[in-house]
Amino acid sequence: MAEEAKFRCLRCGHEFIAPYDKDNPQERSCPKCKSNSVRRARER
Amino acid sequence: MMDVGRHPRIKLLAYSEVEEVSGYVGNFKVKVRKKARYVDEEECTACGDCVEVCPVIRPDEYQMGLSSRRAIYIPFPQGVPSSYIINIEECLGVQPIACGKCAEKCDKGCIDFDMKDQIVELEVGTIIVAVGMEVYDPTPLDEYGYTRFENVITTLEFERLIDSGGPLEGHFARPTDGKMLKRIGFIQCVGSRAERRGNPYCSNICCMNTVKDSLLLRDHYPEIDITVFYLDMRAFGKGFEDLYKRSKDAGVRYVRGLPGEVKEDPQTRNLLVTVENTTACRLEEHELDMLVLSVGLEPREDSKTIQQLLSLSRTTDGFFLESHPKLKPVDTSTRGVFLAGCAEGPKDIKESVTQASAAAARAQIILNQDKIPIEAITPIIDYDLCNFCGRCARVCPYGAIVDVDPKRKVPPRVIEAACAGCGTCSAECPVGAITQRHFGDEQIFAQLEAMLGERPEEKIVVFACHWCSYAGGDMAGVSRLQYPPSARVIRTMCSGRTGERFILRAFTLGAPIVLVSGCHFADCHYINANRWTQRRVERLWDRLERASIRPERLQLEWISAAEGQKFARTMRELEEMRKKVTPEEIEYTKQVLAEKV
Ligand SMILES: Cc1cc2nc3c(=O)[nH]c(=O)nc-3n(C[C@H](O)[C@H](O)[C@H](O)COP(=O)(O)OP(=O)(O)OC[C@H]3O[C@@H](n4cnc5c(N)ncnc54)[C@H](O)[C@@H]3O)c2cc1C
Ligand code: SF4
Ligand code: SF4
Ligand code: SF4
Ligand SMILES: [Zn+2]
Repeated sequence: MAEEAKFRCLRCGHEFIAPYDKDNPQERSCPKCKSNSVRRARER
Repeated sequence: MMDVGRHPRIKLLAYSEVEEVSGYVGNFKVKVRKKARYVDEEECTACGDCVEVCPVIRPDEYQMGLSSRRAIYIPFPQGVPSSYIINIEECLGVQPIACGKCAEKCDKGCIDFDMKDQIVELEVGTIIVAVGMEVYDPTPLDEYGYTRFENVITTLEFERLIDSGGPLEGHFARPTDGKMLKRIGFIQCVGSRAERRGNPYCSNICCMNTVKDSLLLRDHYPEIDITVFYLDMRAFGKGFEDLYKRSKDAGVRYVRGLPGEVKEDPQTRNLLVTVENTTACRLEEHELDMLVLSVGLEPREDSKTIQQLLSLSRTTDGFFLESHPKLKPVDTSTRGVFLAGCAEGPKDIKESVTQASAAAARAQIILNQDKIPIEAITPIIDYDLCNFCGRCARVCPYGAIVDVDPKRKVPPRVIEAACAGCGTCSAECPVGAITQRHFGDEQIFAQLEAMLGERPEEKIVVFACHWCSYAGGDMAGVSRLQYPPSARVIRTMCSGRTGERFILRAFTLGAPIVLVSGCHFADCHYINANRWTQRRVERLWDRLERASIRPERLQLEWISAAEGQKFARTMRELEEMRKKVTPEEIEYTKQVLAEKV
């Protein structure tokens, strides 16, 4: 199974989980507001 | 085909595969594996004596397995060169049980079991990709019963059955009993225009292919009852509507609705098709003798290999991407490489030939020149600053930067003819040793200083790529879409050019919000340069956060040339965000970044 990661939309603040592959960048869009300003939320 | 084979200036390498391509426009080096045919193609006269004695019988792929061939065969009757070939995997001649009957039979001694693959090296100035397409396999659409019922066939199999050179020698009949049929049905859009199963796009050729097949049947077998099940018939080309009308006038029945289920009567092997006729608003059942699935077209499975060999881009559908849909429809992102036919997308023969002629003409323009002009947007390297790290060469989508070697401290060299001018190398150089002609660092900085010189807190800085997002902004303009006047746009050829330095400079000059925008991933005009843009923005988000600056102030958006609406909406949303950025925040950012940059 593909690895998953948590993402946060920098437009509307929505957080979601999506497949993630470090070596294979994907075009991402926020499922709520459709913005592409989607950042991987890092665990601190 | 014959003309091509005989043409004195065309060298045809049949049964061959391109293995390696290096170089650049005007100077490509191509390595081709010419596979062993085990028959001397120059000497073979295609007399067919060998075939009669070959004991191996296999399904004939060209006839869709509807008839058989031997291990020594001609792949299809019109094939050029017209010479036999041995499928060595199937041949018994070289197996432990040596056969060699064909070699004994051939008077001319054309058969050579020891023949080896040859590697042919070519030097060419331009390359045209015309690898065509594949046909959708309807097996997953189980409701149509393609794998369960012998009388359900595809359009490709239908073509073979009705062809005078086909397995039935043109005596059309149904597969289960070899009898003439009375009722035939066609189902359109099989594997096309489907989001979940199959492909989302229209395959372009299947409506007219069915119209053509229906007229062919009408001409040859007027007694057959023909029904076509469709979503909507697309007869858009020259003379197509006329053909469609002729088909309807000839009594072909068109039922709007795609069947939900196909069953077989085990006694008669007839097919029972249930369909909702959406014009008549009723559920109908049709009993047919044969059903033809109008299968769509797909990109070839090996498209990725060709994409990598030639540094090409592909659309989300998987077909090869043209350089510009209107202005450069047969060019590709790699200079000197052109597209023709279904490699670029589903199309009919006329369109394929038109495109092939255009591609040949475009290639000829290059071949007729001793020197080719290139756009003055290539990189300039400052060798005093360069530390030979090699990052520029690693990120260049075209392999246009060569020689650089960190260990031996060899500096990079730009092959300007191969460079497409995306500017990614300039943006990624860690020491600012590269700049781009006409999109130089100083030029971009000057634009930033001009736009943020007065009341910067009221501006949104937008970096837009020439091909998509800038054109999307244009589209918003010509569509008279309203968006706030705060946006200030800087155009670069590719979003790949938008370096960290530009973004940070915008913030240090007091910009409240910066937007980096470019083409959607699948539309990148520089193969994959916008992946580097995304990585860079992600790096900057981290960096801003570490400096206690809200990463939200740097925004990223992929906007196509057609997405004027998206451009306008983004600007409206960013304006709302801009209003929330406080003067203190802007001041703090300026101070922190001024210390760091
Ligand atoms: C069932 C069916 C019916 C159709 N009926 C009609 C019709 O009636 N009228 C019409 O106008 N159009 C029709 N079409 C569409 C027509 O087939 C296409 O328009 C046409 O074949 C496109 O030509 P092409 O040269 O792009 O591709 P292709 O015809 O697919 O030719 C590509 C060639 O490249 C070769 N190739 C692929 N990869 C490589 C490689 N790596 N190295 C070397 N060679 C390679 C392939 O073997 C093939 O020979 C029909 C299509 C189908 C499927
Ligand atoms: S050409 Fe016709 S049959 Fe083919 S996918 Fe388009 S609409 Fe469907
Ligand atoms: S990225 Fe910059 S420093 Fe590194 S090799 Fe290229 S030009 Fe030199
Ligand atoms: S501008 Fe783009 S294509 Fe040209 S050398 Fe730099 S990275 Fe390669
Ligand atoms: Zn969002």
